[in-house]
Amino acid sequence: MTRHRDQYLFREAGGFVVDATVKRGGEDIAFQIVPDPELCIVFLQQHAGAPNAALVRPGDEVVEGQKIGDSDETLGVPVHAPIAGVVRKIEDAYHPTAGGPAPAVFIERRDRAQPPVRLPAFDAGRLDELNAETLLAAVREAGVVGLGGAAFPTHVKLAMRRQAARLVINAKESDPNVACDVRLKREHAEEIVAGIQAMTRMLEPEEVVFATRAEPGAFADLEARLAKAGVDMAHIPPSYSVGSDKLLVKELFGLEVPCGAYPPDVGVVVHNVFTAYAVARALFAGEPLVSRGLTLISRATGPLNLWVKVGTPLRDVLRYAGLDPAGYNRLTIASMLMGQSVPDTDVPMLKATAGICAFGPDEPSPYDRPLPCIRCGYCNMVCPVGIYPVLIMEAETRGQTVRLRRLHAEDCIDCGLCSYVCPSAIKLTAPLRRAMAAVKRSEG
Amino acid sequence: MMDTPGSQYKMELSPHVHSGITKDALMGKTFLAMCIPAIAAVFAMGTGALLHIALAVGTTLFCHVLISWLEARSPGKPSCPSLSSPLVAGMIVGLSMPIASPYPVTLGVAALTMIVFKWLQGRILGRKYLNPAAASKLVLLGGLTLAAGLGTGMLFYPGHLRLDLWTAAGFDRVVAFYETQSLSGVQSLVLWKTHGWIGGASGLAALIAGVGAVLWLKLKWRIVLSLLVAIGVLAILFGVVTGGSVVGRLAFHLFTGSVVFMGFFMATEPQSTPVTEGGQYAFGALLGLATFFLQQLNVLGGSILALVALNLLTPFLDRIGMRRSYGHGGGR
Repeated sequence: MTRHRDQYLFREAGGFVVDATVKRGGEDIAFQIVPDPELCIVFLQQHAGAPNAALVRPGDEVVEGQKIGDSDETLGVPVHAPIAGVVRKIEDAYHPTAGGPAPAVFIERRDRAQPPVRLPAFDAGRLDELNAETLLAAVREAGVVGLGGAAFPTHVKLAMRRQAARLVINAKESDPNVACDVRLKREHAEEIVAGIQAMTRMLEPEEVVFATRAEPGAFADLEARLAKAGVDMAHIPPSYSVGSDKLLVKELFGLEVPCGAYPPDVGVVVHNVFTAYAVARALFAGEPLVSRGLTLISRATGPLNLWVKVGTPLRDVLRYAGLDPAGYNRLTIASMLMGQSVPDTDVPMLKATAGICAFGPDEPSPYDRPLPCIRCGYCNMVCPVGIYPVLIMEAETRGQTVRLRRLHAEDCIDCGLCSYVCPSAIKLTAPLRRAMAAVKRSEG
Repeated sequence: MMDTPGSQYKMELSPHVHSGITKDALMGKTFLAMCIPAIAAVFAMGTGALLHIALAVGTTLFCHVLISWLEARSPGKPSCPSLSSPLVAGMIVGLSMPIASPYPVTLGVAALTMIVFKWLQGRILGRKYLNPAAASKLVLLGGLTLAAGLGTGMLFYPGHLRLDLWTAAGFDRVVAFYETQSLSGVQSLVLWKTHGWIGGASGLAALIAGVGAVLWLKLKWRIVLSLLVAIGVLAILFGVVTGGSVVGRLAFHLFTGSVVFMGFFMATEPQSTPVTEGGQYAFGALLGLATFFLQQLNVLGGSILALVALNLLTPFLDRIGMRRSYGHGGGR
């Protein structure tokens, strides 16, 4: 399908543009299934919340879908074996989100005829007969977390019945390098709508909104199904920053989430479109969350949509795409504006990994040689939350914590736009993160 | 780069891509925008204007080479690795000089701009608190003023001391001074001057280039707006109170080079001006107020004194007029 070029030029505050043309055409590329790896590295904690304890020991045989880690805490979400095999060891590995070591279960693949473990599946046609608690428990048991990147336990957000008057499905796909959400809408419209209906059953909101940057008519099948399900569609101009839950809430409803609060505090629960799909698979297919779609982008391959088992080392994904890991010197996962660098290709895919970028030696970091700040104010103009990155950087350099609080450094959403537009190529994210930490320390 | 022992790949904080906006590109665009008033000045004022500009640009480039040579022999990163910044600095100096200025003075201002107020100021203070060209002019021309009087300093045209801007009759004589064979005083002030700042030879050309630069480069437009509004309001007020020509007052006070060129291309210099919205409005309004009254006191071109004074207030102005951020009743 032909799309207007502007679909890939995301408009930001101050008249700046985020170039998302690297993913042009990605939505037209079908998901390819990456074969199961020889070794899966499954972090015991892949969600924002309480840590899990391992339910297996080295030497144990596991079946695909078997629960291998869980917690009794409210914010605990189990993890499952993505492949059948033997637990070789449980030890620390580099966790890309944490930026340091975290315990992981190493599963060596053993091909066997044993079918994958499935959870009890419900009949989508008899959703009204199921009570919310049953559904919430099933969502939790399937290990579903927010797949937009935050990895917050989905069952916790769906249990906010009293708080939430609105349910928003974030299908804006605002990361400049992620095309898998759009592809999902094309390939799995039925499951997405079923997931939204299940979420609606659990949350019982007064209003359900499906937010997309696509123009009306771009996804005829999905749009027809949403209309039939009574879900409103909101077509929002392409923008990177509005992918943030808080900013999306303001864009859609004009509601501002107060400092330190979250969208449910203003009556809105936001879920990513991939999460809706995962909820449907969990409830109606009994499938634990052990795989997901993501987009890999490199100069050699362009955008590729891949379906990958959680725990697959990055090396296997790159090789499947025909890339020699040795030919690259920068590898990042998640958004190219907010994601993390990885130190090696042992790093596995997480539940919330939506993107991979591989940069070759001819694509050096644009921030390698920063120049002195010229105080042009571009960072202030583009900041979607309206803070002053340059003033925060100056105050942080001088150790002025009181001033950092006055400048509301803690409101930074780490979107990276300030660095992205900086003519001096200064990575302002570094002082901003230090400033946020300083403010938090000062507040005790 | 983050410290991750044993890392095979380069580890760094996000973001991992950049918009491609560079300092050199901004400088290049600024230079191009200033070419418009420069070309107009050469047509209006003759080859003398071209010589001033060429001398200023040549001097700043020479100083840049000298500084680069010195820095290459000392530890630390080069402070200004490209030619774009000295090019722009030279152009600003050239266009902010009075056409009657002796060439050695232009050369001196350009050298002082590069060596003292760009290089040393940045190196010692870590940032340019004073507009380099304005500070250099103030030091050199202010020094000449102190040594030889206002008639020699600032404008190098003693006649301006006899101007009477406080009465309608006196003001009419000032406007008449700008009349040519084909243009009225007001038309000349707006379109075609042969006196004063080179960059203001054609107030209209400077205005067009300035507005273009504001839109193209996202300059600090609040400063320019409040500066022009402040001066415009005062001009109207004085026109009404003295009973003279309001249009003449507006043309005189707004279209001199020390207002229109300074407002767009010097008062928006990013490092020495506030970044908060309210701070920018205050900066422009105070600059307009000071510039207007300096003009009234016959210190034509004394706007650089006002600009440098306001530069010193920038750290304080950066503390006022902050917008509310998201979560505190604001955001985008």
